[in-house]
Order: sequence, then structure tokens, then C-alpha cells
Amino acid sequence: MSPSRPVVLVTGAGGYLGRRLGRRFLDRGDHEVVLTVRTEAGRSALAHDLAPASARAQIVVADLGAPDPFTDVDERLRRRITHIVHAAAVTRFNVDRELARQVNVEGTGHVVTLARQCPHLVRLAHLSTVYATGLREGVILEEPDDGAAGFANAYEWSKGAAERCVVDQGDDLPWTVARVATVVADDESGRVTQHNAFHETLKLCFYGLLSLLPGRADTPLYFVTGDAVTDAVARLSDPAAPGGVYHVAPDRSATLTLEQVLDLAFTRFEQDEEFRHKRILRPLLADRESFELLVGGVSSFAGSLVHRALANVAPFARQMYVAKVLDNRRLGAALPQHRAPDPAALVTATVDHLVESRWGRRSEVVA
Amino acid sequence: MTPSFLGGLSFALGGRKLSVEESVAAGRTLSGEAELSDAGFRFHHVCTDDESAYDLALAAVGGRPDQPAGIDAIVYATCLPVNANLAPPSRFEASGDVKDLMDYPASRLQAALGLDRAIVVGVGQQACTSMLGSIRLARGLLAAEPEMERILCVSADRFPPGARYEQAYSLISDGAASCVVTRHDGDYRLVAAHHITNGAMVSAGDDETVGAYFSYTHRLVTELLAKAGRTPADLAWVVPQNTDPKAWRILARLLGLDDERVFAASLADVAHVISGDNVVNLSWLEERGVLESGDLVVLVMAGYGMNWQALLVEKT
Ligand SMILES: NC(=O)c1ccc[n+]([C@@H]2O[C@H](COP(=O)([O-])OP(=O)(O)OC[C@H]3O[C@@H](n4cnc5c(N)ncnc54)[C@H](OP(=O)(O)O)[C@@H]3O)[C@@H](O)[C@H]2O)c1
Repeated sequence: MSPSRPVVLVTGAGGYLGRRLGRRFLDRGDHEVVLTVRTEAGRSALAHDLAPASARAQIVVADLGAPDPFTDVDERLRRRITHIVHAAAVTRFNVDRELARQVNVEGTGHVVTLARQCPHLVRLAHLSTVYATGLREGVILEEPDDGAAGFANAYEWSKGAAERCVVDQGDDLPWTVARVATVVADDESGRVTQHNAFHETLKLCFYGLLSLLPGRADTPLYFVTGDAVTDAVARLSDPAAPGGVYHVAPDRSATLTLEQVLDLAFTRFEQDEEFRHKRILRPLLADRESFELLVGGVSSFAGSLVHRALANVAPFARQMYVAKVLDNRRLGAALPQHRAPDPAALVTATVDHLVESRWGRRSEVVA
Repeated sequence: MTPSFLGGLSFALGGRKLSVEESVAAGRTLSGEAELSDAGFRFHHVCTDDESAYDLALAAVGGRPDQPAGIDAIVYATCLPVNANLAPPSRFEASGDVKDLMDYPASRLQAALGLDRAIVVGVGQQACTSMLGSIRLARGLLAAEPEMERILCVSADRFPPGARYEQAYSLISDGAASCVVTRHDGDYRLVAAHHITNGAMVSAGDDETVGAYFSYTHRLVTELLAKAGRTPADLAWVVPQNTDPKAWRILARLLGLDDERVFAASLADVAHVISGDNVVNLSWLEERGVLESGDLVVLVMAGYGMNWQALLVEKT
């Protein structure tokens, strides 16, 4: 007998996308919502953040690095779960391979195991990344990838391995893999509440700490907003949308090249009096070997700030030389109403927000 | 522009040669031995207690086989303003007389060398680029004043007692350098000079200094070559400042140069001699006997202020 009300379990519900997805299901009101977080502290923080709606959610602690993380999801609940949205992961690009393996790969294995124990499951939606295909170049279809192209870092590798875990171990499950592009802003207003490598790199350029960037001028960059991803993943979690791999990313025609992004960013930077005053030059795009020399040599000609800065940029540097053409026809067919924002407007609005808020330090602008 | 030439390169270093290990142990550096060694530094030269920057200048000029004769001007550069006054600070403190702030080394040098005809010009506020700035100024003087024939350029600095001997991740040596800029004949023809100043970065920290290094140096060299109607492919040698060679390996790639052509072989032995590096390295290059007539050499320097200067010279 099928349960009357769908029950959705969202992992990583304390994270940027997991929280948005949890809130979205709560706001819809037609789902019973189970949210999982890594720690007790995470549970309190999430309950506080989602209040008063959190009263309608069950918040469960499940550390995906543990051997049996879902002990608090009891048998009765398992029998009622209809949807699992797996958003938990260690998302740092510089995560070490062991932790990435434990949480992102084996953790996904635990989620697949849980899914198997949910007899009424209609969708297992796994959040992946467009970089799960690693260093693969050219046209990339919305289909499983064998990881043969290699990876720029352990994060990517683990996301690729996690996808294969879902596809291989969950072959009899109603799985969907949503490969998400880089989230640069919450929405098209350019508001940013979670900083990632994109924001950190621009910050280094703004403060004149990085005059060399890795990459080729014509490398396309795929940007999305948190809102658009939340909407797409929530819709793809509905069994009305066919399962399989999706690229939650704009198509190539709605992307900007690395050079165009830098142009837009610096055009905005140069409107800032403080920045203009310092006459910071646009960064040079370094070939791979030059950038690797910089990263390798930085300990002897740069201080801790630049050191730390490069540690943020270096793990994804190799991707900046890889031209991916993401095919998203399956996404278009499944979600015909989904539209990509104008990339130039999105980048401009985002950079505007970053500059105005000084990357979140001027909190009154962020609020 | 009136043709002008460069020659008579010479330099002098502080009297105490210390290893990286010794100076790290003595607390003269910020970085540790591993970082400085990794950046290629082995030794540096520090003045003895009784050695002044002026002594180094005198040694640099006097040490040359061809004693300067018939010099029309002395352009005397210091990186540190404190080296432009020979009187000890205690003298002014005692007298309250500003004359005690104007005991100029350039005047003393003129008198000591008996260069009675020479006028003296002090150059300051260009930090490590001040030797290149002096040569540029000398070139301008020759162009503006037809009666001038030979100009002696000197730069001399020592760090004050108690100073850290590390700046922007480079190990420093006290030292002086000299050369002569002439209207006729010389070892090198001066082809072009270029200078960028970004005054807003005057108080830049080490991280910002390093941050700006690549983009500004790239711009400097690109604009210098454009001025001369040349391309990086025309360069036989790049003679930079003594900083981590990895920086120039990167820059060479960015400029499309063969990094074998970047010559800073003195780095390990003499470290960063404030504004004397180009003279030291070019002298070493001369000694190797690899320079050929017609070779284009670019001398490049970055310094506080912030200043970036470069000279393009052609071996005669
Ligand atoms: N945001 C993007 O630009 C983007 C782009 C492409 C793909 N994605 C994918 O989307 C998913 C969500 O990303 P996000 O941006 O929301 O990342 P996020 O903000 O870093 O959130 C990840 C969440 O996973 C949780 N987590 C980490 N280790 C865990 C463990 N051992 N057990 C249980 N939970 C654990 C974290 O909890 P703690 O904070 O307590 O550690 C956090 O709440 C990830 O799979 C990511 O790969 C995101």
C-alpha cells in the first residue's frame, strides 16, 4: 500500500543547496519532510534557521562518514519514504582523497542502501556536479561517465565515483543524477550567501593579491543560481520527470568565456573608487605550466595570504584549460519551462554584490 | 633621441659575507632557511659596523680600472633616504641644525674623485629601480645638454643597523653599483627606457607587492619593447633583479621568451643588492663572454613606491 502523503528525505540539509531544497519541500506543504544533518549542532542550527517551518520537519543526525549513518531513520519511516534527495557532500575543492572517499563515495553508497530499504521510493535524486566528468573535453552528454578522462582534484574524483555508485549499485532504483553547474549567486539579483572558488578568486583579484590566473581565455564557464538549481532539482525529483543524468547547467550558447567573465568583473571593479585608486591591473592568464610553477614556488616568494589564496585556486586550476560543451537537451525536454539566466547580467549583478558587500564583510549590504 | 651609451659597469658589496644559515640564525630574515634556499639564495653581503653606503659607492667607482675622468655629472641614487645623508642622526639631534641632514654623499664623491667639472644630481624615491632611473636620467641629460659628454651613475645603499635583511621574500645585500653613460662609445647602446609608477601602492604589503609583480612587470617589458619597435623574440638576454628565479621562469613563459635567456646567476652568491642587481648580473654576463655585438638585453627591476623600470640596451 502506498503512503498517502509523499515523504521526502533530504541529506546535507544544513548545506547551501540542501537547505534550499528542504525549505522548498516544506513551503510546498504537500510533502512530509525529513532533513538529515551531520551533527547535533547542525540539527539545532537548522531547526533555528528554518523556524517556524522546522516544526513540520523531522531533523535527523546522519553522519555519512559513519559505517551505518541512518540508524535514526527507523524501519517505519523507511517504509514511508518516497523521495530521497542526496545533497550531502564534502564540497571543498581541496578536500583530501580519503575524506572525499569516505563521505562522498561511501556516503553515497549508504544513501543507495537506504534507498533500497524504502519500498515506496519513487525517486532517488543525487546531486552531482558538472565536474564529475573530470577533465573530459568537448561535448558531454547527459549520460553516465566512466571517469576515464581523469580529474583535477579529489573532490571531482569523488563526485564521479559517487555517480557511478548510484548508477551501478542503484540500477534497479528510480535514480536521477543532477549534475549542477557552478552556483554563483542565490538568484538573478546577484545576491551571494555562499562563497565558493569563483567568489574567492575574484576577491583575490579585487584586492590585488593575484595577478596570474590559470586558464585559457576561451574556456566556457557554466554558471547557475541557487534558486534555479533548487527549482530544477525539486522538479527532477518528481517521478513525472524521467530518471537519468541531467545537466543542470545552461547550454554553451548561454555561457561566457573565462576572458568575458574577467572583463565583466574588472569593468565593475574599475567603477569602485578604492579599486581604481590602487590601479590594480587585470590578471594575466597563465598557461598550465606557468601556473603550476607559481603554485609550486609560492612558498618562497609569497606570504601566507597569497599562499592561502592559491591553495583555494590551485585545486580547480586544471579545469580552466578544459573546454566542456555540456549538452542539456534532456533537461530542456524534462523541464521545458527551465530557463538559464542571461550570463552577462548574472555575472555583473553578482560582482556588483560582491564589490558592494566587500565579499560579505559589509553585512548591511548583504542583508 | 640623441644616441647614448652605457659602460664601465662596476660594483662593491658589504664587507661581511654571510650564509643564509647564519643570517636566519641571527634573526636577520623573516623567512626560514628552507624558503630562502628554495628561492635560490645562499649568501648575502652586509656592511661591517664602520662601513657606510658612501664607502661602498667609493669602492664601486674607485674599483674600476678606468677611473672616471672628464665626467660632466654625477647622478647619485639611494634607495633609502637615510643613505643620502652621511651625518649620523645624533649630529642633528644634538645641533638642531638641518645642515646636519644634508651631508650629501654625491658632493663628497665629487670632491674625493676630483671631478671638479661635474654637477651632482641626487636621485631618490625610486627604491630598487633607482640605478635604472639614474641611467634614464643621465640619458635625458645628454639629450638636453649638448655640452655634456659623460655622466657617472652611482647607486649605494646599506641597511641601517638592526634592519631586517629581507624584503618581499628576497634576501638583501648592502652594495653599490656604478656605470658611465656617454654620448659616444660604450659597451652598450641605450635603446629605450621605460618606467611605471603606481603611487597608490606606496604602502603595499609584501603580498600586494608580489600580487602586482607579474602583471606590472609584464606590462613594463611589453611597453618597453613596443617603444623600441621590438618583440620578445628580439631579446638575446633578460637581466632581472635577484629574486626567486621561478618568478622569471613564469614571466618568460608569459612573455614568450626562452627562460634560458634570463640571466640572474649572481643571485646565490650576492642576493638582492638593492638597486645594483642589474649591474652585478650584467657584469657577470660580460665575464662569461657570451654577449655578442648586436645582442639586445633588457634590464628589469621592480621596487617600492611602487616603481617598475626597464632599460633596453644593445651590445656594441
Ligand atoms: N553549490 C555549488 O556551486 C554546487 C555546484 C555543483 C554541485 N554541487 C553539489 O551539490 C551538493 C550540495 O552542495 P552545497 O553547495 O549545498 O554544499 P555545502 O553547502 O557544502 O553543503 C554540503 C552539506 O553536506 C554536509 N556534509 C558534509 N559531510 C557530511 C557527512 N560526513 N555526513 C553528513 N553530511 C555531511 C555538510 O554538513 P556540515 O556543514 O555539517 O559539514 C553540508 O551541510 C553537493 O553534492 C555538491 O557536490 C554544488
